[in-house]
Amino acid sequence: MAGDTWGGIRMHVGVPLAAHPLEVSLETSARSVAIVGPSGAGKSTLLRVLAGVEHRARGEVVVDGAVWLDPSRGMVVPPWERRVGWVPQEMLLFPHLSVRENLGFAGGSDREVEETAALLQVGHLLDRRPRRLSGGERQRVALGRALLSAPRLLLLDEPFSALDRALRKQISATVRRLIVERAIPLVLISHDDADTRMLAEEHWHLRDGTLEPL
Amino acid sequence: MLAAASLTDVLPRVAEAWTRQGGAPVHFSFDATSRLAPQAVEGAPADLFFSADEAWMTWLEERGGVVKSTERRFLENTLVVVVPAGAPAPSGPAALVGVAKLALAGENVPAGRYAREALEATGVWAKVKDHVIRGGSVRGALEWVARGEVGAGIVYGTDALSEARVSVAFTFPEDTHQPIRYPAAVLTASRHPALARAFLDFAAGPQARGIFESAGFTVGEAAKAPGSAPHATTPNPASAVRISLMVALLATLAGFPVAVAFGWLLARHDFRGKVVLSTVVLAPLVMPPVVTGFLLLSVLGSRSPLGRGLAALGLQVPFTLLGAAVAALAVGFPLYVLTVRNAFEAVDPHYEEVSWTLGVGRRRTFLRVSLPLAVPGIVAGAVLAFARALGEFGATVVLAGNVEGRTRTIALAIYTLLEAPAARRDTWILVGASVAISLAALVGYEALSRRQRRRLEVRGGG
Repeated sequence: MAGDTWGGIRMHVGVPLAAHPLEVSLETSARSVAIVGPSGAGKSTLLRVLAGVEHRARGEVVVDGAVWLDPSRGMVVPPWERRVGWVPQEMLLFPHLSVRENLGFAGGSDREVEETAALLQVGHLLDRRPRRLSGGERQRVALGRALLSAPRLLLLDEPFSALDRALRKQISATVRRLIVERAIPLVLISHDDADTRMLAEEHWHLRDGTLEPL
Repeated sequence: MLAAASLTDVLPRVAEAWTRQGGAPVHFSFDATSRLAPQAVEGAPADLFFSADEAWMTWLEERGGVVKSTERRFLENTLVVVVPAGAPAPSGPAALVGVAKLALAGENVPAGRYAREALEATGVWAKVKDHVIRGGSVRGALEWVARGEVGAGIVYGTDALSEARVSVAFTFPEDTHQPIRYPAAVLTASRHPALARAFLDFAAGPQARGIFESAGFTVGEAAKAPGSAPHATTPNPASAVRISLMVALLATLAGFPVAVAFGWLLARHDFRGKVVLSTVVLAPLVMPPVVTGFLLLSVLGSRSPLGRGLAALGLQVPFTLLGAAVAALAVGFPLYVLTVRNAFEAVDPHYEEVSWTLGVGRRRTFLRVSLPLAVPGIVAGAVLAFARALGEFGATVVLAGNVEGRTRTIALAIYTLLEAPAARRDTWILVGASVAISLAALVGYEALSRRQRRRLEVRGGG
């Protein structure tokens, strides 16, 4: 669990995407940051860089004082040592595992799994396979799976897009409460102003391959 | 011209002399008599037939395949025991008992039958029959002796003369077996009967005599000897099915970890030499299985370092069930690896990435995510390899031989039965078993492939 002091994020990276290369700089000490911008601008790629799964990324990433990617030494901290809670847009629940097994994948206890499931209102779905969940249910399970990995940084990519208005409000409030309680820094991608207003202290805009504070 | 395999070296030289004198060019098809005779009856477009024994000529006469009045008998051969050059030679039939492996031609092939007759007449058959390795043609048996894979072999005297890597231990006395004569006749289906007769006259004449004698044949006209029915030892269908299943199962299980490792490597990793590796792995898919078998025998045979090392560990590869499994695996491996690779490629790599970010490293991610997601596809690959292993013939007959009760699989048993046209019923039993098992395997493959697709259908959405 992250401590009370947060060293912020410093990121200067280039990603040679086929359509338009991404060259971005992000320096922030805010605990929660929203990244907005037109679709296809590369927002999800930025989260992949932070998660450590974007092998094409070159440059520097420093999170909370720890060097994850270093341009001179080329050092890369592998994703399994970064402890980020990544919820990709596609959710990617493991299709061969039940909801319970998905939630406990990173190793939470049975009690923690059940508590988190209840908080995200999926407690009644624990024995189902992802195949038999709605889009909104899957989003909440993916969120729970990320939270249960005791992340040092939460990366959410359109995490509420499949929820209806009422549920969206409830779940984003729950997430807000959890990240404050547990002091988990957050990088959020969302199209929805209500989400970003509720969850982020700082807003950045990604357009035409560059990132600027709003 | 259809001619017995043991005439491969000499007849073209006779034909050359004949052409030089203005005769028409001759085209040959050399094979075991037991395969040529049925071809002649089925209407092979040929004019002349040189049989390696009376039994098959009689068989052809009975079916009207040859013009009886044109039959000639002027060539004779001897039956000898050969050993690898330089190896200790058994002094007589009794000494064959001490030979660990004795190579013979197939039991319905004339050379194989003469050999058995001679061994029975000299009273050693019962003692050596468990050491006998049956090849297909007599040339196959000769090759095994030449390579030192077997201690001794029984072949024709002319074969022994043509192969420098073997030496003759002794010759079986003529009275221990039927005379080894080559009856020749014009085929009923011939479209050039006069020409065919003329060639026969030339081959029996003084000019050809020198050529035949220099190759080790005895030349002299003889009358038809009292016919002997081919005494075929029929392959046991139940044993063939059992051996086939064992070989295929062994190949499939032993190949499983290797196929998974290669499939994973080819699906998810880029490395130097990847193209070379995948070419080597896939080569048996396009190479004739006989070539694969020959290469395997070279690498794993008793004279290669690897083969010696394995033998020292008690793993005898040539002429064993293990050898049959190795041959089956080598030939089925490309399908195995390709299917496994496809199964892994069908798994979205993003699942693995998510697993990594959840603190699970590469190895455990493979075991907890990639492998379980690919399981139906991997099992489908195993089923396909199993089915291919059941159908293996070419590599098996070269590496493992055709040993009844040990390496004679369904495919080899059918091949043996086809040389003995009497055993139609057993042939059909085995053909039925073969078709049934293969179809069942393919149905299983289809079901598993469908399941693999279903398993991966669900991702994201919403």
